[in-house]
Amino acid sequence: MNKEAEMKLVSDVPKKRRKSASLDKKTARGGYWFTLPFIIGFIVIYIPVVFESFLYSLTTIERITSGDTYQLLWVGLTNYQDALFSDPSYVQILTSGLFQLLFDVPAILVFSLFMAVLLNQKMVGRAAFRAIFFVPVILSTGLISTIDSGNQSLLNYMTDTSTGISTGASNQTGVTEIVNAMDIKYLFANMKVGAGIADYVVDVINHIYDIVNRSGVQMLIFLAGLQSISPAIYESCNVEGASSWETFWKITFPMISPMILVNLIYTIIDALTASSNSVMSYINSVYSTQSGQENLSVAMAWIYFAIVIFFVALAAALMSAFVFYQRRD
Amino acid sequence: MNKEQSAPKIKRETKNSIKVEFDRTPFWQRFKAKYLTTYFLTKVLWAIFRYVLLIGISYIILFPFFTKITSSFMGPDDFVDATVKLIPKNFTLDTYKYIFLENKYMEAFKNTLIISLSAALIQTFVCAMIGYGLAKFKFKGNKLLFICVIFSMIIPHQTLQLSLFMKFRYFDILGIIQTLGGGSRLLPTLNILNGTTSINLTNTFWPLAIMSMTGLAFKNGLYIFMMRQFYRGVPNELEESAYIDGSGLFRTFISIILPLSIPMMITIFLFSFSWQWTDQFYTSLFFTKNSYILMKNVIAIPESLNMTYAGSSLYNAAIRNTCGLMILFPLIIMYLFCQRYLIQGIERSGITG
Repeated sequence: MNKEAEMKLVSDVPKKRRKSASLDKKTARGGYWFTLPFIIGFIVIYIPVVFESFLYSLTTIERITSGDTYQLLWVGLTNYQDALFSDPSYVQILTSGLFQLLFDVPAILVFSLFMAVLLNQKMVGRAAFRAIFFVPVILSTGLISTIDSGNQSLLNYMTDTSTGISTGASNQTGVTEIVNAMDIKYLFANMKVGAGIADYVVDVINHIYDIVNRSGVQMLIFLAGLQSISPAIYESCNVEGASSWETFWKITFPMISPMILVNLIYTIIDALTASSNSVMSYINSVYSTQSGQENLSVAMAWIYFAIVIFFVALAAALMSAFVFYQRRD
Repeated sequence: MNKEQSAPKIKRETKNSIKVEFDRTPFWQRFKAKYLTTYFLTKVLWAIFRYVLLIGISYIILFPFFTKITSSFMGPDDFVDATVKLIPKNFTLDTYKYIFLENKYMEAFKNTLIISLSAALIQTFVCAMIGYGLAKFKFKGNKLLFICVIFSMIIPHQTLQLSLFMKFRYFDILGIIQTLGGGSRLLPTLNILNGTTSINLTNTFWPLAIMSMTGLAFKNGLYIFMMRQFYRGVPNELEESAYIDGSGLFRTFISIILPLSIPMMITIFLFSFSWQWTDQFYTSLFFTKNSYILMKNVIAIPESLNMTYAGSSLYNAAIRNTCGLMILFPLIIMYLFCQRYLIQGIERSGITG
């Protein structure tokens, strides 16, 4: 009995060794197990959806009601031609939408970085301010932003003081401006920086609500980046006698630059899906109201996306030259 | 002028206390040295500037909410009365009452709660899993997979809306159902499913569930990215000691890693729940029938409040805002409880490029 058991033990040892994989292989297999849902989804759903979406832009759909299926008729680049040359308002909306994007993105980036730096400082009531600043991330999306877009008249009514003491701030078009454009222009004219910047600043301040609403996630990302900068660096800066202005440009800005790149891309992509985006809402209206024009809307969406992704790539390439990565590990 | 510093004079001495008088620099000089320096003054100015700015922007964020709340209590007469601005004169709860009764709020609440809660729970768990897999395991194609995640984040679903709709309207996995239904060119004789070549999944929960389970739903790329960054900061020793104690991969994940990442998971749950709750795009894409009442159907003017008078455009706007408030109500409650975790989760993640 004893001998047999021993024999078994001896013979078992090499077998077991052969069966069990090395730790590296085991963990590699674990990685596949954990990411399996995404791998399946990406291959089975996402790639076909993207491919079909591109296919739809080159075809028209004919539904066969009897067999509950559909047929694709190849039309080549007709949809793209229609979108660019036949559609009455697409090109116009596209160009104005792209300019709006160019206008919004720097404003959102600068604002969210500035606010993140402010909210990162130690002060009384910091938690309360943070909680307030992240309210729009949760509460001003989707349905609510659609309601908000039709809200201007109500807000004007509430803030309009023309029946009381006239402040002269509300002009005749009914849009209440926070700052009077003339004041700012006068200010900038004295500083000799050009009328373009003055217009830009006035526009930013008058759309501040929109910009604050859309910079919530960016602020979170910047804040997380600021938290990861080691306080020892700031301390040594302080000891060497650097002012906070110098500290910002020499320490904070380079250390946060990877976050700026991430936020740049995120902001552009987020602006694409925002309900205030005029191009997307136009494409949506083509999709939902003009029956039989679904493929045209897909072509429009692809044109818009291609242009925007070109800008993203350009901006990312330019930015990545300046991005500073601190080596760790 | 240099006076010799004299020894402190004893003014009064009792058993337990002693009062001593000694030469001090005069109050004014001390005050000057401490408070009238450029360092202190710039600090005070900066603090004032900072508070003005922060309070101002908080006002910009919160003011629309105040107007929504106050206008929701106003009666129809208040919108033609020029003297009524922010405080209602004819206080009424009718707006709430009729939206609640006539817009089927409870039904919408129930349906949306089922959809949002299950989608958010699935997304939180799946994204945590994928993020963990990407952060902690070295395997072939890890980097490629991460690029795929970013890629899936970059193409907006609005671009893909037609093909997403078609995918789930005529749902089929790799042509299996088509083959079984006799629709394929290779095996036309095989006809188990009586000519059914696809399943119609629209107007059910399945499209959202499938997209959530595969980590492809709204902004899931962002969640996976956040989870990955979080797990990269978790030390390997934790899992190694668990492995040594004989725990398997999944048990380690469930009983050690998941409890660690609760703040981050609450953040992601908060995001996905509230974005799904107020979602318009996916619900109108996948729920084409209006018989299935969701939050998007709540936004309407109730019959009893529908009237035409001079202030009706403002009144209707106020009613629509009240609908928005009622939709937001559960989210506001949730945000009040969870914002602590939201900020904590973000601080701990330490997202770095």
